[in-house]
Amino acid sequence: MTYFSFVRAEFLVLWRRKQDVLNALLFFVIVVVLFPIGIDSSSEFLTPAASGIIWCATVLAVLMAVDSLFKEDYRDGSLEQLVVCGLSLPLLILLKVIAQWLAVILPLLVIMPLLGEMLYLSSASLWALMVTLLVGSPSLFFMGVIGAALTVSIKQGAILVMLLILPFYLPVIIFSTLAVKAAQAGLPYSGFLAMLLAMSLLSLVLSPFMTAIAVKASVN
Amino acid sequence: MRWVWFHKLASPKWFYSWSNFWALPVFCFGCLCLAIGLVWGLAFAPEDYQQGNSFRIIYIHVPVAMLAQSCYLALGVASFVFLVWQMKMAPIFIKAMAPIGAVMALIALVSGAIWGKPTWGTWWVWDARLTSVLVLFFLYMGIIALQSALDDLVLANKAAAVISVVGLINLPIIKYSVVLLETLHQGPTFTLTKKPEMPPEMWLPLLCAVIGLYSFVAGLVLWRMQSEILMREHRSSWVKQEVMENGL
Repeated sequence: MTYFSFVRAEFLVLWRRKQDVLNALLFFVIVVVLFPIGIDSSSEFLTPAASGIIWCATVLAVLMAVDSLFKEDYRDGSLEQLVVCGLSLPLLILLKVIAQWLAVILPLLVIMPLLGEMLYLSSASLWALMVTLLVGSPSLFFMGVIGAALTVSIKQGAILVMLLILPFYLPVIIFSTLAVKAAQAGLPYSGFLAMLLAMSLLSLVLSPFMTAIAVKASVN
Repeated sequence: MRWVWFHKLASPKWFYSWSNFWALPVFCFGCLCLAIGLVWGLAFAPEDYQQGNSFRIIYIHVPVAMLAQSCYLALGVASFVFLVWQMKMAPIFIKAMAPIGAVMALIALVSGAIWGKPTWGTWWVWDARLTSVLVLFFLYMGIIALQSALDDLVLANKAAAVISVVGLINLPIIKYSVVLLETLHQGPTFTLTKKPEMPPEMWLPLLCAVIGLYSFVAGLVLWRMQSEILMREHRSSWVKQEVMENGL
């Protein structure tokens, strides 16, 4: 196995299990729909709340997607093969997470204009929201994958992953909603984007190693 | 100076007999200090010119809040030590420390809310300090939940260590949220570099309570570690001998 063949296999698996990605997307849309129905469907509430709603739904959908990242591999033994195959485990994890990120976030961005319209977002703040998603979501995946690797051996691990990882997501949510709020007020928001990017890069550097430790402990 | 006694503490057996000697005095000293600090602070210290008597909850709130952060720092350092050097005592320490830290964070939140009602007029505000202590509480609960969910001891040790090291990132956010961010919360009471702004008869009991609570928690942790050692090493011969000779 080479890194290239590993990435190809990952994308092939993601393509053959299209339903999983579709499920995450549907879950995302349903969570978004809960808010106008549950709280208030007028534009006075939805326009300022839209970025928070979208980000909360994204965080939940990402955690659902990340939780299943290692589950199947753990069950059929291919996770063990990754540990012993001789390639660098952190690098393999990094590639796996990037593949998953592309598979979840790209469709999410595609349906975002639709949801923006449903939540009465102006096009300027919709763009800001999409940029925060693009820049901030890698850190969601990289932090979530640590929790997923730690709980991979537990049957009902999803709730535990939520409990473990959601506290770490708060800064990301804070900075992204601040960025969108600044955009809505017509202020510059590149500073918030820089913070989001910094968090994504930091987690990109640290998370593969932490996840590798967790994966090694889990398969033994 | 000889450091042999310190290195010996890495072995559960030596740690057990060492802590057998230290746990009770440390705990009693802590109780005494805490009692002096609390009685002095709650009954005898002068009133605050702005907040009146309601400021007296500081003698509970500040020590507990300091402990909530220090426990997490200790947890993070122990986790780092465990991940790097695989010391056997580190996960035992983590297991003993996490619930105490969680209780401290919870008391800090509750006492802060009680203090907030008369001074800010509300039980809770969504500002950086309060929210990050709440997050700290969630982190503790996550560590405890993870440890109890994993049956495999080796994995549980590793998992708790990994998540505590990652959680260390939250600590500077709490520490400096009072200084850096705009917040309703007042500035820190104690700093190492400056003399406190309160008169001595106000901060001395506080210092007493802080030292007392640290010592109290240290004693508790030693006891919890002892019982954890007995549980984990119950097959070894020295534990059998220990229990036969001294009972539990």
